[in-house]
Amino acid sequence: MSAGSLFSQFMGGLTTAMFLFLIASGLSLVFGIMRVINFAHGSFYMIGAYLAWQGVAWFHPTGAGFWLAALLAMLGVGAMGAVIERLFFRPLYGREELYQLLFTYALVLILGDAAKFLWGTQQLSVSTPPVLAGSVQIFGTTQPLYNLFIMAIGPLIAFGGWLVLNRSGIGRMVRAAQMDREMLDALGANVGTIYTGMFVFSSCLAGLAGALVTPIQSIVPGMDVLIIVQAFIVVVIGGMGSFWGTFWGSVIYGEVLSFGILIFPGFSLFSVFALMAVILIVRPWGLFGRPL
Amino acid sequence: MRLRYPIALLLAAAACLPVAAWAEDTIKIGFPIPLSGPTAVYGKPILAGAELAVQQINAAGGVLGRKLELLSRDSKANADEAVRLARELIIKDSVDFLAGTLTSAEAPAVSTVSKENKIVFIAPTSKATILTDPQHIHPYIFRVASNTDVEGAAGSFLMAKFKDVKKVATIAPDYAYGRDSIAAFIAALKKVRPDIEIVDQQWPKLGEPDFTAFITAMMSKKPDAIYCSLFAGDFVTFTKEATPLGLFKAIDNRLVDGAEIGTTDEAQALGADYPYGIVADAYDPVIWGGANEPEAHKKFVADLKAYTKAEYASGWSIVGYQSIYALAEGIKKAGNTKSDDVAKALLGLSWDTPVGKRTFSVQSHETFAPEYWGVMTKVADYPFAIIKDPQSLPTSFPTN
Repeated sequence: MSAGSLFSQFMGGLTTAMFLFLIASGLSLVFGIMRVINFAHGSFYMIGAYLAWQGVAWFHPTGAGFWLAALLAMLGVGAMGAVIERLFFRPLYGREELYQLLFTYALVLILGDAAKFLWGTQQLSVSTPPVLAGSVQIFGTTQPLYNLFIMAIGPLIAFGGWLVLNRSGIGRMVRAAQMDREMLDALGANVGTIYTGMFVFSSCLAGLAGALVTPIQSIVPGMDVLIIVQAFIVVVIGGMGSFWGTFWGSVIYGEVLSFGILIFPGFSLFSVFALMAVILIVRPWGLFGRPL
Repeated sequence: MRLRYPIALLLAAAACLPVAAWAEDTIKIGFPIPLSGPTAVYGKPILAGAELAVQQINAAGGVLGRKLELLSRDSKANADEAVRLARELIIKDSVDFLAGTLTSAEAPAVSTVSKENKIVFIAPTSKATILTDPQHIHPYIFRVASNTDVEGAAGSFLMAKFKDVKKVATIAPDYAYGRDSIAAFIAALKKVRPDIEIVDQQWPKLGEPDFTAFITAMMSKKPDAIYCSLFAGDFVTFTKEATPLGLFKAIDNRLVDGAEIGTTDEAQALGADYPYGIVADAYDPVIWGGANEPEAHKKFVADLKAYTKAEYASGWSIVGYQSIYALAEGIKKAGNTKSDDVAKALLGLSWDTPVGKRTFSVQSHETFAPEYWGVMTKVADYPFAIIKDPQSLPTSFPTN
């Protein structure tokens, strides 16, 4: 095994990790602040992918078309998130978690069928934007530019999110809402708006992730359910509700999966699930989470 | 109230009459097939092919003077659901025959229902050998598609043609079809090219969303060529991740795939991102990149396009079409619609299809059908890859 191929494997794992982070961060954020386990987060991601495809079909596949489509996907899913939160989630906040789970599961089914109705069952595909279509040689290995771009986007969002949550006025309100919702409400802050804002932000992240994945994966019905399982594993490893936990959870997931495939090719998924099982036994609140 | 009752009765009678009269005459064929979920991509065109066959046969006067009636149901590519639907079609709808199913999970399951109820079942696409092997065969099961042994023979024949290839890696989805197809390929390759070494085997799960790590792991073993049984969305994702990683360049496009990714369906999904230059197959190339297109095929594609109103026909419709014609020929030969007689009539039956004659083996009830293979090429008239000079392979296969 040469150093070059180990490096390739590492970079592949990192690409997987940063994609998962884009998706899992929104999931973790909504859980951490609103205590809602949003099963439909993967469906938001899928709708983002379909919207991006639609955008590329409407605008032009070359030039700025892809970026416009990604923006459309992000804002479109954000708007959808706003409507869903206002109309459907709000009455459920005080209720038992089971109701929320059932509701988000219903959303998974509804959005899955809606996507099939609107875009059909044919697998769809979007070409890589021309600027990022090539590859570069690093340590004698071929690294796709698009993967490098994704690897840069992930930490950027992680750092930006951390900055907003910990160093801004909005972030202080959000953290206050997380700690004691009633008290903040009594102090006159509009908790409803904060919740809607967080939900929309998380939806935007899902929409963006869906758009960014289209150049390297196929858009098919069922992609929603596949991704949500992985995102949950990441969140369990990193710790529910912890932003940096989700970041490192993604990195660990990506690298364990990637090297697992290299070392035990017949049992590609085994390594990840084994890791999750160990963490659930030793630290059920995740590597970076706090005991509930 | 007094008035409403007779009116309702009249309406009910009116609704029943034509149905009852129709049901009396038709020969009913139950057709469970995935119409929702990821595999509906294939289920729908297969059903369209079957519907076209029924329409044509009925337009020509039906079979034994009776019209055919197709009862399609959504199996969701789920074996349990397919079994439930097959039972319901037999008991509630009293179908005369069963056809349909897509995957090698559904077909063997429905085969047991056909055995219990002594009703002929024609499987259009399931390729796993288990469907008709000596332990599972029974008088009522028939298979139209080829099986994984036939696919492996053709794939290894084409791989063996790359004279300078010494190291081959394989990648296939981790379930019955993927495992069977790779085992058959390796067994056949060992016979024609014992000098080739299998350096790596990757087993991503069916529907794998991210192939990057599988691709880099495979590349680290430095294969000269790759044999692949990925299909549908999996192949799309694999290609889009493998191209920028330099996989196709590293193996000089020497990738052979035996899972029908040479179809127009797959080529359209990938468009300009298709890895031109690889070797792929299809049940029906649809667009013939060469001069050897049979006349019957030209007519079939024109009819299919008119029926589905799609710009390009699908490469999967042919198997649905062939299945219905096989059944119609069997009924004609038997002279009645009793499954016992039709099953006997189907043994050794040959019938013409748009892509050549097919014959059910007397012993194993299958056709050992060849598929069309060739190099995926860019041509000026189409915005997607097509098979250049599609070749029917294997040219000879030991049938039993």
